[in-house]
Amino acid sequence: MKRGKIDKADLGKLLVAVSETAQCAGPVADRVGVKLEMLSADSALELAYDNFALSPKLWFFPRSEVIASGTGDALETTLLPEGETVLFGLRPCDAAALELLDKIFLDEAYLDPYYKNRRQNTTVVALACNEPDAACFCTSVGGGPGAGAGADVIAFDLGDALLFEALTDKGKALLTQHEKLLNAPTGDDDAAKTKVIADAGAKLKPVKTDGLADKLSGLFDAPVWEVIGERCVGCGTCTYLCPTCHCFGIYDEKAGEQVQRIRTQDACMFPQFTLEASGHNPRDTQGVRARQRVMHKFSYTVDNVGETFCVGCGRCVVHCPVNIDIREILEEVAA
Amino acid sequence: MTQSNPYLPLPVTIEKITIENEAKDLKTFRLRFQSDEDASSFKYECGQFAMLSIAGAGESPIGIASSPLDEGILEFTVKRYPTGVVTTALHNFDEGETIGVRGPYGNAYPLEQMEGSNLVIVSGGFAFTTLRSTIRYLLDDSQRSRFKKITVIYGARSPGELLYKDELAEWENRDDIEMVVTVDKGDEGWSGREGFVPTVLQEVSPSAENAYVLVCGPPIMLKFTMPPLLEMGFPPSRIITSLERKMTCGIGKCGRCNVGSKYVCKDGPVFTYEQLQQIPEAVL
Repeated sequence: MKRGKIDKADLGKLLVAVSETAQCAGPVADRVGVKLEMLSADSALELAYDNFALSPKLWFFPRSEVIASGTGDALETTLLPEGETVLFGLRPCDAAALELLDKIFLDEAYLDPYYKNRRQNTTVVALACNEPDAACFCTSVGGGPGAGAGADVIAFDLGDALLFEALTDKGKALLTQHEKLLNAPTGDDDAAKTKVIADAGAKLKPVKTDGLADKLSGLFDAPVWEVIGERCVGCGTCTYLCPTCHCFGIYDEKAGEQVQRIRTQDACMFPQFTLEASGHNPRDTQGVRARQRVMHKFSYTVDNVGETFCVGCGRCVVHCPVNIDIREILEEVAA
Repeated sequence: MTQSNPYLPLPVTIEKITIENEAKDLKTFRLRFQSDEDASSFKYECGQFAMLSIAGAGESPIGIASSPLDEGILEFTVKRYPTGVVTTALHNFDEGETIGVRGPYGNAYPLEQMEGSNLVIVSGGFAFTTLRSTIRYLLDDSQRSRFKKITVIYGARSPGELLYKDELAEWENRDDIEMVVTVDKGDEGWSGREGFVPTVLQEVSPSAENAYVLVCGPPIMLKFTMPPLLEMGFPPSRIITSLERKMTCGIGKCGRCNVGSKYVCKDGPVFTYEQLQQIPEAVL
């Protein structure tokens, strides 16, 4: 089944049906906002949200995970559980970020088994945006409020109903599995979908990014980086919230004879990230660390995999404690 | 379910530990794979590195010091830093104990491309390790005739800090390799050369004609070695060096060793000076 519609009132029923054969997570409201959480029968499902505070990349690339363990001197692979997961309600920017992370973790030369396992066993249902946040700029970095990159199914909020469109075989299988709960969409639904997406797109303020990668490569030694570095407090919030940042460290923890080798997210904004045991640090100021983050996303990844590693979700803009705004940096560079 | 895990080290036994220097913070570890299958799957070339793993301490990227022709064993010369968790732990290991290795990683010195040329090898300090791998390989009976004149300029802070002393003596006695060993400052027992590597390089002034130069050393040595090499007529494309950066994964994912669009772990560690001139962050 490629398309289907459901009344919002029946969405709970659908997600209960989904959770009979898979773990199902969706947008759940609590006192501080809406989170992507495992659903249970009494979950307070909430469809009116700008986005999740934390990027759903955490479902595929957790803050920390054990990748090997053992007792004594030899380590063994820590296996991942099998079983299907359905994530419902990712915004298109966050879904698009998964397609970017695939280019790193599913690179043929060295497949990352942990990421691959989760990605393979997860069906992503995106929820198109009707009301973008003031910090959103997806359309300036190749995305859009109704874009389906990285998703298996995309849902459009038509007011009283949701319209589902399958984008991959995995997505078709999910809709087919639950087709009894879905209705056939009409021409009116298509018109409504086109309108909500156009309206949402019109609310987004474009950021000028013309020729950005080329311009950046000429700006390596520009004074702009130290100016940013003077403001940046190096807290790393931008990297932890970013749906495409994927730098990590691997550390061992030992309790008695039991050793766990743990992969944790790390950040190029920290001096320790590149600090060598000899004391030498090739990135020794906050300015050059800020430069690294911008260069990596908007120049190096373009060279390496042909993609800008920013999806315009705006999290770094909203949460930076000193109000560094990536949109302003990009406009300054592109100007 | 079996799952191929690129982060899983292979178990190796420490067969022999050699203390290399007077300060006793440089040791060479000879390792043997515990499984024949692992030994035959671990094929490496001169210039590559591997991750050494100590369960409970972590992992460190270390250049391979043995030659690909040294069958069945792997050697790594490791400097212990007081702040280095893994290197300190490794220095506390004894012969017969088990550690882990994963790799080999990175690219290698372009020996195929260098065939039929004169080779100049310039090194300072303990960056000499992957060049020791290379010299052992080049001097093997099966390989020596592929290359013309080989000149080695190698320096250490003091006579006691020179690595691989037995091999240095052995190589000095051969007539198919010119060894120029120097120390920053000699002692009573030292009758050899004194002087910094870049200065000695200028004194020796090897010909750039049909030659490649391999240079490895601390950043400060590299910085002062490049100008004389260019002056001697070595084109940047024939000056070959090896970069070092902090690394975690070794397979181009963790982001730590990123310089420009390159990852030192998978696009390097071997780069030509010509390539480095294109990477602002890697400029020497």
